[in-house]
Parts: sequence; C-alpha cells; structure tokens
Amino acid sequence: MKFIGTLIMALLVASAALAQQARTVSGTVTDVKDGAALAGVTVRVKGLNRATQTQRDGTFTINVPAAGNTLVFSFIGYQDVEMPVADNMAVQLTASERNLNEVVVVGYGRAVKRDVTGAISKVTGKDVEDFPAPSFESAIQGKSAGVVIQSGSGKLGQGIQIQIRGTSSISASSQPLYVIDGLPIQSISQSDPLNEPTNPLADINPNDIESIEILKDASAAAIYGARAANGVVLITTKKGRNNQKTSVQLDVNDGFSNPARLRKFVDAKQYVDLIEAAAVNDGRYDFQNGVSGYPSQEAAITDYKNYYESAILDVYSLGTDWKNAKVNTDWQNLLYKKNAQNRQVNLSATGGDAKTRFFISGSYTDQDAIVVNNKFYRYGGRMNLEHTASDKLTLGIDLSVDRSQINRVSNDNSFSTPGQLVAQLPISPEYDSTGELNKNTLYANGLYDAKFNSDHQVTTRTIGNAYAVYTIIPSLSFRSEFGADLYGLYQEAFAGKETIDGQGIGRGQLTISQSSSYNTNNYFTYTPKLNTNNKLNAVLGMSYLQNDSKSALTQAEAFPSDAIKNLSGATNVTFSNSAGSRYTFLSYFLRANYAFADKYLATLSIRTDGSSRFGPNNRYGWFPAASAGWVLSEEKFLRNAKFLNFLKVRASWGLTGNAEIGESNFLPLYAVSNYPGLPGFIPSQLGNPDLKWEKTAQTDIGVDFGFFKNRLSGEIDIYKKHTTDLLLGVNIPTTTGYSSILKNLGTMDNKGIEFTLNSVNVDAGGFKWTTSVNAAYNKNKVLNIQGQIIQDAAGVERAVEGQPIGVFYMPKFAGVDKETGDALFIDASGKTTSNYDDAQRMVVGKSNPDWTGGFNNTFSYKGVDLSIFFTFVSGVDVYNSAGIYMSSGFGNGLDNQTINQVNAWKKPGDVTDVPRVSIFYSTGYKNSTRWLYDGSYIRLKNVTLGYTLPKSVLKAIKLTSVRVYLTGVNLLTFTKYPGDPEVNTNVIGNLGGNQDFYTIPQARTITAGLSVKF
Amino acid sequence: MKSLRYILIASTIIIATACNKKLDVLPQQNITPDEIKTSDDVKAVLFGTYSLLQGPNGFGERYILIPDLIANNDQVDFIGTFTDYRDISRKVQDKTNVIAAGLWAGSYSIINVTNTVLDKISLVTADERDAVEGEAKFVRGVAYFELVNFFAKPYSAGNVSTNPGVPLTLNPVYVYDSTKDKPSRATIDAVYSQIVKDFSDAAQKLPETADNGRATKYAAEAFLARVYMNMGDYANAAAMANDVIASGDYSLSTSFENEYNNIGPTSEDIFSILQTSQSNAGTTNNGLSTFYQPQPGGRGDAQVDPAYFNRFDDANDDRGSFFYLGISIAGDQGIYTGKWADFYKVIPVIRLSEMYLTRGEANLHLGGVPVGGVAPVQDYNIVRRRAHAASVAAVTTSDFVEERFRELGFEGDRLWTLKRLQMQVGNRAYDDNKLVMPIPQTELDVNSNLVQNAGY
Repeated sequence: MKFIGTLIMALLVASAALAQQARTVSGTVTDVKDGAALAGVTVRVKGLNRATQTQRDGTFTINVPAAGNTLVFSFIGYQDVEMPVADNMAVQLTASERNLNEVVVVGYGRAVKRDVTGAISKVTGKDVEDFPAPSFESAIQGKSAGVVIQSGSGKLGQGIQIQIRGTSSISASSQPLYVIDGLPIQSISQSDPLNEPTNPLADINPNDIESIEILKDASAAAIYGARAANGVVLITTKKGRNNQKTSVQLDVNDGFSNPARLRKFVDAKQYVDLIEAAAVNDGRYDFQNGVSGYPSQEAAITDYKNYYESAILDVYSLGTDWKNAKVNTDWQNLLYKKNAQNRQVNLSATGGDAKTRFFISGSYTDQDAIVVNNKFYRYGGRMNLEHTASDKLTLGIDLSVDRSQINRVSNDNSFSTPGQLVAQLPISPEYDSTGELNKNTLYANGLYDAKFNSDHQVTTRTIGNAYAVYTIIPSLSFRSEFGADLYGLYQEAFAGKETIDGQGIGRGQLTISQSSSYNTNNYFTYTPKLNTNNKLNAVLGMSYLQNDSKSALTQAEAFPSDAIKNLSGATNVTFSNSAGSRYTFLSYFLRANYAFADKYLATLSIRTDGSSRFGPNNRYGWFPAASAGWVLSEEKFLRNAKFLNFLKVRASWGLTGNAEIGESNFLPLYAVSNYPGLPGFIPSQLGNPDLKWEKTAQTDIGVDFGFFKNRLSGEIDIYKKHTTDLLLGVNIPTTTGYSSILKNLGTMDNKGIEFTLNSVNVDAGGFKWTTSVNAAYNKNKVLNIQGQIIQDAAGVERAVEGQPIGVFYMPKFAGVDKETGDALFIDASGKTTSNYDDAQRMVVGKSNPDWTGGFNNTFSYKGVDLSIFFTFVSGVDVYNSAGIYMSSGFGNGLDNQTINQVNAWKKPGDVTDVPRVSIFYSTGYKNSTRWLYDGSYIRLKNVTLGYTLPKSVLKAIKLTSVRVYLTGVNLLTFTKYPGDPEVNTNVIGNLGGNQDFYTIPQARTITAGLSVKF
Repeated sequence: MKSLRYILIASTIIIATACNKKLDVLPQQNITPDEIKTSDDVKAVLFGTYSLLQGPNGFGERYILIPDLIANNDQVDFIGTFTDYRDISRKVQDKTNVIAAGLWAGSYSIINVTNTVLDKISLVTADERDAVEGEAKFVRGVAYFELVNFFAKPYSAGNVSTNPGVPLTLNPVYVYDSTKDKPSRATIDAVYSQIVKDFSDAAQKLPETADNGRATKYAAEAFLARVYMNMGDYANAAAMANDVIASGDYSLSTSFENEYNNIGPTSEDIFSILQTSQSNAGTTNNGLSTFYQPQPGGRGDAQVDPAYFNRFDDANDDRGSFFYLGISIAGDQGIYTGKWADFYKVIPVIRLSEMYLTRGEANLHLGGVPVGGVAPVQDYNIVRRRAHAASVAAVTTSDFVEERFRELGFEGDRLWTLKRLQMQVGNRAYDDNKLVMPIPQTELDVNSNLVQNAGY
C-alpha cells in the first residue's frame, strides 16, 4: 500500500514539474471491453474546479490550468480512472460490477448504487444466459437474498413461484409485477384451466437480458403503487452503444438431462414379500378379532395367503412366475426419458455509430423434459434500436417476437399423468404375451396415455415499446413511451380411445386465449445543476395500462379414430364457452431524490393508482414512500479509516398495494344459466362498492458496506411488512341467497433479515478467487382471517391465525404399537390412540422456509474459469400427499410401495416406525405426519467450467473472443426428504405449497457450450 | 421545437383525462342487477331458477337422492367413498355435513331469485305478468316445501304452531345488511301456510299447458296434493290430484320402462327437469345418473338393496325387473335401477301415476263418496295395470304405501310417505332426530337467531 502511495506521489511531483503552464488537452474515452466510445464521461482536473464531458464520439477537449497535473475520468457504471495530463490521451474505462458506481435500473429511471436508499437486488445478464431452462427465473434462483424461487417440478414450461420477502396475500396473487424495458407484462398463466399453470415468462429469451433488478422494499417499489406489494422485477434487455464497432456473438450449447433425485420403490421380490406379510397380518387380525370365525390362526393365514396369491399376484403378474420374480418391471424408469436432450442457439449483433445504436438477436431452443411427452421449444428475435434525431430528440424501440411451444402432460392428480406410473406393480409386465402394452395393470396403464395422448400449447408473443425522449432544457427532459404486450395461446389436447382420459371414445379439448395489453408512460425528468453539495433528481409522470383478455374453451368427444387429433374429428361437443375481461390502471407518480454533499440522501415518492378492479368508493389508492440514507464513510471521522471504503445506512417506509383481486369483484353480478330452451340469469355474487387493493406497509433498515479496498462488500437489510385489507370471502347467512361476500378484512405480517456478502479472496498472479453469499430469513404470521378456516384443496394445509401461512394441519403420527402393529396418533388429550377418528388435527409443520439463500465461488486463472454455486433452503417441510398410496402398506390400494415398507412391523414385539402392512384391516392410512418430512436441502445448483482462448490465438483466427464451457445443474442434493425436495404439485399459490403428489423431480442437466464473438 | 414541447404537454393532459372514464369496465360474461330492465330480462331471471332446480342441490340430485338415502332400508345401499353421503345413509351425519349445507344454501338461492322476479314483476308486460308471477311462486313453493321437509320435524308430528320450520324470506337481497338479514326460523305452520299460498296463487295464475318443461297450473296442483298429503288434509289432496287427472292433459306412458331416460318430457310427466349433454346436474361427481349408474359411465355408488325385490307381489310386475347388474367405481358388483341409467335425460319430478295413488289413498282416508268418482281400488289398479301387475279387489292404506314404494322407488318419495303416516323408517320412529337434516353449522356461525335441530 505504502509503495503505491509513494509511487503516486512521485508521479504527481514529476508531472507538476513538467506542466507549469495552462494548456489544452484532448483525447478519447472508450470502454476497455469492446472499444466503444463513451459519451458523457465527466473529465475533471484533479483538485481544481474545472470539468467537461466527452462528446458523443467519446472525444473531449479540456483546458488545464497551470496547477493541474491529473485528469479524473468518471462515468456512471464505470470505475473512476485517474491519468496524468498528456497529449492525445487514450483513456479506457472498465465497467463496474458489484460496485458502488454500478448503475441500477429503478422505476422510471436509473440510479447509481451508492445513491440508492431502497433495497434493490441486481442480477446481471451473465447469470441468466445459456442456462438450460425455458425461463430466466430458474437461473436466478438463490442468487438474490429474500427472493425465493421455486419451479414446482421437472416439467418444462410450468408456472414458477416467486416470493419476494414472503407471502403477502391469502386469496389474491402473491407473485411480483414484471416490467420489461418499462412495460408491465402479462405473467399469469393463460393456459388450460384444467391443467397446471404455465409460465408466460418463458416467452422471453434469457440471452436478451442485460440485467434484472428486483425492487424489494417500499422505497424502491412504491413507484409502482397498487401493483408493488409483492415486489417488482425490472427486466432490461441489451442495447447497443454509440460508436461501437459492430460485434456479432454466437452462442450454442447442447446438453442432456436426467432426474436429479428419485424415490426408491420395492422390486418384484420385495412386493411379493409385502403381499405375503399382509396375508399373515390380515389372517392374524381376522382370527384374533373373530372376524370370519377361523378355527385357528394358521388356517386364517393360509386362507388369506391363498386368496391374495390368486387374486393379486397371479392376476397382476399375468400368470408369470411371480414366485421367482420372473417379471421385475421398474415402472418409475418408464416415465423418464434417458438423457433428455436440450439445445440452444443464439445469434446476436450489437453496435452503433454517432447517432444510432442497435441490438438484434435471434434464438432457437428446444428442451426435452426428463418426463415423457413433455418438451419445450422457442424461437424468436429481438430488435432494440435507438436513434438520436437531434440534440433534443432521441427515438427508440425495444421489440421482441417469439413463439413457444410446450408439449404437455396432464396434471399430477390425474391417472393419466406419467408420474403416476410408479403406482403400477413391479410384478406386472410392461408388455403382455401378445407384445401389446399391458392392459391388465392395477391402474389403467398410463403408458397408453403416454403413447396416444397429446397436448400441445403454442404461444406467440410480441412485446414492443416505442419511446421518445425530448430534452426541453439540459436539466429537464420528457420521455413518452407506448408499448404493447400481445400474447396469444392455442392449445390442443387429445386423449385417444385407448387411454384412461379417452374413455373408449376419444376426447379432445381446445383452449384459445389472448391477452393484449397496451401501456403508456409519460414523464418528466428534472436534474437541475445545483452546486456541488446539492444534487436533485425528480420524476413526474403518468401511466395508463389496459389489458384485454379473451379465452375460449371447447371440449368434445367421440372421435372415429386417433388419426384426427383436433376437434374436427369430434362428433359430440360437451362444453363450449368463450369469455373475456378487461382491466385498466390509470396512475400518476412523483419521485424526488436529493443528496447533500454525497453524504445525506433522501428519496420521496408518491403514486396514485386508479383501477377498474376497485369499487367506486375506493377507485383511487395513494401509495407514498420515503427513505433516507447516510453515507458514513464520507464523514470526516471515518474518512481516514483505512480498512473502510464505504459505509451507508439507510431506512425506508412506504405503502404498496396488491391489485390482483380479480375483475368485477366489487360488482353485484348475475351469471348466465343454460337450462335447455330457457336461457337465463342466476345471481352469482353480491356487490361490495368498498372493495379495493390489499395494502402493505413496509419498513426497511439497511446497511451497505465495503471494506479492504472493497474486497469485502455487502448489504444487510431488516424489514417488516404489515399487510392489511387482505381479501377474504366472508361468510354471510345463506338465507340471503348468497354464501359469502368479498371484503378487505384480513391482516398478515412478514418480518425478515437479509445478508449479502461479496469478497475477493485472492487476486494475485493472474489467479482470482471470489465468493458471494446471500441468506435471508423470513417469518410470516397470519394475524386475522376473521376466524375462518381457509385450507388448500387437499385439506392438509391451512391459514391459521397466529401461524405462518400454509401450515400443515393434520394428525400427528406417534409411531407403531409394538403389540398390534397399529399406527398410533396423538389424541385431544395428548395421549396416543390407534383410532384415527380420535386423533387430533393440529399444526404440525410449515410449507414456507425460514432460511433461503445461495453461495457461489468463482475461480479464474489465465483463460480458465470455474464457478461452483450452491443453493439452500431450511426450516421447511414437504408433505408427500401420495404417501397414503405409496407408503401406507396397501392402506389405500395395492399400489407399489416405497422401499421403507420393507421395515414394516411383522410380529408382536417388533419395534419400528412403519405400521403393519394390511389389505383388509389397514391402519394409519389417512393423512398424518407419517408422510411429512423435513424439506430442508442444500443443492449444488450449478457448476460451470469455462476456457477462454488467449488473445494471441484469437488474432490468428481473427475472432474477438471464444469461450467453451461445461455446465452442470442440480449435480448434488443433500436432504432428508426421500424424494426430490424441490417440488410443489400445486405449482403456484399461497396455500398448498410443498406438497409432492407424484410430482416430477427437478432435472440434472449437463450442458456443453461455445460462445464466439467476432 | 418549442411547439413540440407544448404538444407533448397537451397530449399528456389529454391522455390523462380521457383515461379516467376507462376505469369503468363492465364484465363480459355477467350482468349487473341494473341491467335487468325489460320483461325479457325478468323472465331470464325466472328461467335461472330452472337451472338451479336442475342442479345437484335441486332435483338434479339431492331433492331426489337424499330422501332415499335417509330412508335407505330395503331400497338403496350407498357403497361409495364420499363420506357425506355415506354418513347420511348411515344416519350419522353431523352439523358440518356438506350435503345438508348444500340443500339449505341451494334452496335459499332459488328462493332469493324467485323473490327477485316477484320484486321486479312490474317490468313484465301485462299479458305475461300473471303467468310469470305464478311461475315464480311455484318455484318458491317447491324450494320451501323441500326445505321444510328436510330441515324440520314432519307436519304429522304435530305442534306445528310451535315446532320450528325454516326462515321465511320473501324479499330479495340486493345488498347484504348484517342488521336485518339474519332471520329466525318461522314455525312449521307459517312455512306450510306460505307454501300453500304460493302454490295456490301459482295454480290460479299459471297456464294449463306450457313448453320446455315449464311449470303449469297442474304442476302447482300436483305439488299442492303432496303438501296436503303431508298435512293430512285428504279432502284437498284428493281434490288437487283429481283436478290434475281430470284435466285430461296427462296420460300414463305406454310402459313403465318408457317413462324413463327420455330426451323430452312424456305424457305422464306433470313436472320434470330437462337435461342435455351441455346442461345437466353433472357426470363425474354429481347428478342422479352419476350415482345410480354403474361404470364406465357413472360412479355406481348407489346400488339397489336386494331386499327391495321382496316388496313385489307379482312376478309379472314390470317394475320388479327394471334393474340391471353393474360394477361401481370402487369395483363392487351390484344391482342398479333402470330409472337413472343414462346421462343427459329428463328427470320426472311428479308423474301422473303418483296422482292416482294420492287420490286413491286420500279417498280411502276420507271414506264416503270418492272425490272424482273413482274408487280407491280403481286408482290403485290403474297404476298396477300399466306395470302388468295383477289387479286387486280391495286395498288398505298400507297397500297404498307399498304400491308407492314399488312405483316411486328411487324417486325420493319413500321417506316423506313414511313420515306423514308416522311409520317406522327402518328401526327409527318417523320423527327421529337423525331423519331431519342439521341446520348447517356455517349458517349458525353467522346467524345467531337460528336454533339447531335436536340431535345435533
């Protein structure tokens, strides 16, 4: 350190000696990365009050007084550079990453990280490009503190649940608002209502993304008012720059996937043993309880044994030699593809001259899911173009067009879904003696559905936003944007005659939906030049958003053959409907940022939103926010602390709303009734003119810091979100003709803490090792739901006052009676009982985690780079809802059983936690904590090993850069859960999470890729 | 360039003000009550009640299935897994039973719609006003009659001026008012008076014939016959049944079999519910044919108790062989009634044969010169002859009870017949607590003026 200081001093003295006279200096400032000219860079003479800015072509000219020796070049988003004054200076700036000078995108503007007083997480495009998943959210899982991302299964194109700082709703959506290049977009599934939701964000090519900013606290998000309570995700796509040589980039990768983690089931031999054990148990039970009046226990057992062998084993083995496990079918294996392929090709070009900048790209991707019949395709392109028409006027457009296709499988809760193949018996052959797929399986053979069903969802999407920026005077500009998000979906599903869903006649379904939104933002930005101590930036504007959605669903049956798969082949329509809805938002917003001496920062914002969704008595909502920051490191008393480079404390408070309360819910309504020949109306809901958004007040206190030359930097935030006016269906006397009325009545809290730490551990001799860690804790509490029982569809999860939302609510399993093998439960008095009806239902676990986060290590040496990224989730439970079938000792049918059933109780005195297996006198086969597991896990989410060719080689082959890499996703998992812990059969929702119902596990993917620039 | 600035500012203001109106958005598949303005609109609301009667909480399922599950002995065995149905058939239902809640809420939903029609009756054109009023009162009468049957002690148990019936709401609810929309239970007497009044008004105002399965004067009189039978008012019951028979508008179907599973009402149907493939009470979890029809079409949860066949006294009786074998969704083989064998077919609610049995039984109770001039045994034999069962020479009341069981089995008649005659239902007395549905607990939770039925 001392050495460098001395060196600088020496240089200063030397240059001082050289330059004693005033003179004019000129030069060019470029980006070190691609040589693009940088316009608007501040060039300052060090120590003197003289400065200028670079021109559009990056050049500058400055008059340096006699006392000036050094020029300081500073530019938003880049690290400062100091250079001694010289002739024809060629200055290169390096973009900052995870640096205080970093630029972050905020609502209706941009800001420098060091001046920000709200809680904003930034994820760069690098983190999401080339990731082997349909949409970008999968790639940012675990990368941002407090942002919990869960893709509920290994099916592709399905909805992905994102919770920012916990769940803040019960009956409305708790998904964030997505804004791409200033345009709010449709992110709610428009797909077949009878299947799981799909993800409209899969239409966005992750490789087009420059950065993703997640607005977490009220100060950052409240500028989006009534739609901000669940957080806001701002997506910014790549743009070209002035005077940048056109650069073309080609990315290709190819990979394969297999299930990350499988449940273990018994094989044919073990299955037969379990059936025999059931015969012994049932015979013993029958004799001891005098059910049939057998003369002896042996006689009873022999009779049951003979019966089970002839009625079960002989039947389902199709007469094959089950005694010697002649047939041993691994049905689980049949539901997965081996080495499911995925491929991506991206070609993009970016560049610009003095007036026009562009980014264009085209992409193609096809990804096979690990599960049969499920596949995702996407192709499309993007053009981002900006033109400077005059000194005052800049025009531009960001436009993308895409087509995505998902080949789908039915939902987890249907017999036809491949996931349920695991219920078939290992003694059942895949093919019968004639070579046909076995038709005599325990449940209708889902392989027929895999073979004869199809379900193709095609979406086409255009997202475009055109804008003009007019600089009225240098400190005041006006920006006007007009954008549209046009989403069309066409889905054809067909179930062949041979299949379960086809019911012997063939059935088809057509879903068409269309969501068209247009949005306009119009705002002034005022950045007056005050003195050096006072900085002000203000934004004032309005926006209007209108969405029109249309959908049609037709179901028909009776097809002459499987050859025709669309409805032209159906001869009887059983359901047909079309519907539409519209919503609008009219908003005005104002924000002011003020900084004094770069030390004291303040932001105030207010937004008012009017929406068609709100009742006439509450048509407009007001959403104010305020925040303040104090950069302690700029204070005299800390300026000399050598270890400390930056320290800022900040605090914010604000109100945000959740407007996802549905259309027309405040109106009294009649629906259409279709009695034959008598079309009519029936009342469907009572009105509530007071109905409005759900309201969240959030307080956040945070610290940003940088130590040891910023080699260790990070952020800590604590927050409290208090949500009131939760939408609840309040029961009223049905003698009114209605059962409930929607009201804003509930309350709920989320409290938490978030940590982010980045460190450069080693940076010497060309070797660099960095570590970044993030962790977040959130505690949710339902405070008031009017004493109602609100539970999920399966009836195992509830919202309970005083508990976090989504607690598992069921009887507690208390082990096995060692004399009888009966399952035991806790009753109302706390004692154990073998009678399920006496068991007390209680809160036994929770579906939302305490802690989530990730840690990443990157290593680079010469051209080689390696990153190792883990994610973790802890303090959460997973309920295997299929346990009542697959792990209940035949309690609900003869389903194949999980491997733990071999440890079942066999004779009096056995000590085990698996109750006896039984077909006729089953025990403990209803929902209980028997199938509730600790769902915490640590997952090796991503390992990437890359090699970048050295410059010498590139010169020879005339390329700018070449990188080859190998990526592995979900390589290792550490968990107590016997299946894949990252599952959610209900995909999205506030209640009903973390349930596994034959859910497809996550994929383990290995991808090799190549990235070339020229 | 200065002008551009003004254009920008001006356009912002224009956009902002123009947008304000855009916040008023009306739904596209619903209407608001303000849109009920014309005679046709009011009629459309009236037609909505038919859809509710067709639904699972009406004649589409529960008005017909549930009384038979309660009086299941020697008739129907519920072997399905749906616990709420199973509990009722075992008479162990509790106050949280969702079927009881559905019957209650569904019936009041119908009542509220009829109240709305009556409230807006002035919008109906003069030539149709009486008929629409009569039709709304008919439907309201049906709903109250079902409610008082399910949720109150039978009329035959006496104390009708003190025993609680069900709340009487005769005005529509447009806006919920927690201070006044918490009615208490009216007496059985008050409820029956209202039912008689509604049906009598309906009989007076409805036309004698109508299309599309809509209510007629005779549908109202047929229901009145049922009401009077429950009240033990045999003179009026006989008179009403006779009026229907004497109208000559109805005739028995040519065979017993032909009376069921038709796509349109038969000559025998005095009131019936229509169904089509796109308008029905359900095909997977709800609907008469879902429960009474075996696999692969239905669930087959409601099987015929073999003891039912002991009730037939003539081997040639068509009604004794109107059955078939099948298998339930849970794999249990059993016997199924032919009455609800197909989806999407007409559900007969009141048939002419019931009117013969009612007139005959009422005349038998009355003695003397029979109303309509037809001796009870003749009425009795008319019904038997159509089913090819041998005629008899003399009849008693219990013969009528047995004949109703043979003729009207699985049509929801048994329980009410046993109750009104104070006969045992299985091993339970006719006024046993568990033969009355519980007032739904959810209803008691929000309306402190209600009292629960005994036994819950």
